[in-house]
Amino acid sequence: MVWKYLLGIFMVVVILGSFFYAQPALGLGEVSRIIYYHVPAAWVAVLAYLVAMVSALRYLRTRDISHDTAAAISAELGTLFAVVATVTGAVFAKVTWGAYWNWDPRQTSITVLLLIYGAYFALRSAVDDDQRRAGLSSVYAILAFFTVPFLVFVVPRVYASLHPDPILNVDKKINMDARMLQVFLASLAGFTGLYSWMYSLKLRIYRMLRERTGV
Amino acid sequence: MSDLYVVAVVTLISWLGIFGYLLSLDRKIRELEKR
Repeated sequence: MVWKYLLGIFMVVVILGSFFYAQPALGLGEVSRIIYYHVPAAWVAVLAYLVAMVSALRYLRTRDISHDTAAAISAELGTLFAVVATVTGAVFAKVTWGAYWNWDPRQTSITVLLLIYGAYFALRSAVDDDQRRAGLSSVYAILAFFTVPFLVFVVPRVYASLHPDPILNVDKKINMDARMLQVFLASLAGFTGLYSWMYSLKLRIYRMLRERTGV
Repeated sequence: MSDLYVVAVVTLISWLGIFGYLLSLDRKIRELEKR
């Protein structure tokens, strides 16, 4: 329980650090502070989808329905963080590009990603039988994850984009002011901790409900 | 409206949403434990 309070304090420090300790990025101004939330949210979305794929593989190997539930929980959290990344990105776009939505390659690829995982939830809700639903959605979760690196890392770099990678990520490596980098890495760690916390809470709820209902 | 204000508001809304969701999960667990 203590680590949860520590995580809360840590995230408060990260939030304060993002506004009062880190410098705004050159060329982007104050709005660049959104990267401390936008990028970690996108990173956690990728991590959550990876965990969903691993859980799906474990289900197919063991046929234990709890692995399928773990996959669904992780995919839900991944989608939640992908939405946070999309919304914070849209606000950044409004300030820097003049419109919330421009169908930039980054925006288009995350929309496709959200649609792919939206179909995963639609598939789950369309099948009543537990084992059949678990089997189908596990195969889908594995196939869906193969699109994640392509949509998140490849497409936005292949097509011309307004995304500020070229400013913050010169020469294909992170090129940030030391203070910015400290807050950025701390935020990445904090968001990962938040995801782990949410995941464990949801898994606990599922287990308690299963014990209660015996299903 | 300054850029800093926009970022601060978006950050606040994001965090309120995330912590609100965490609290709702925590409350659900407590309810289940009580039962």
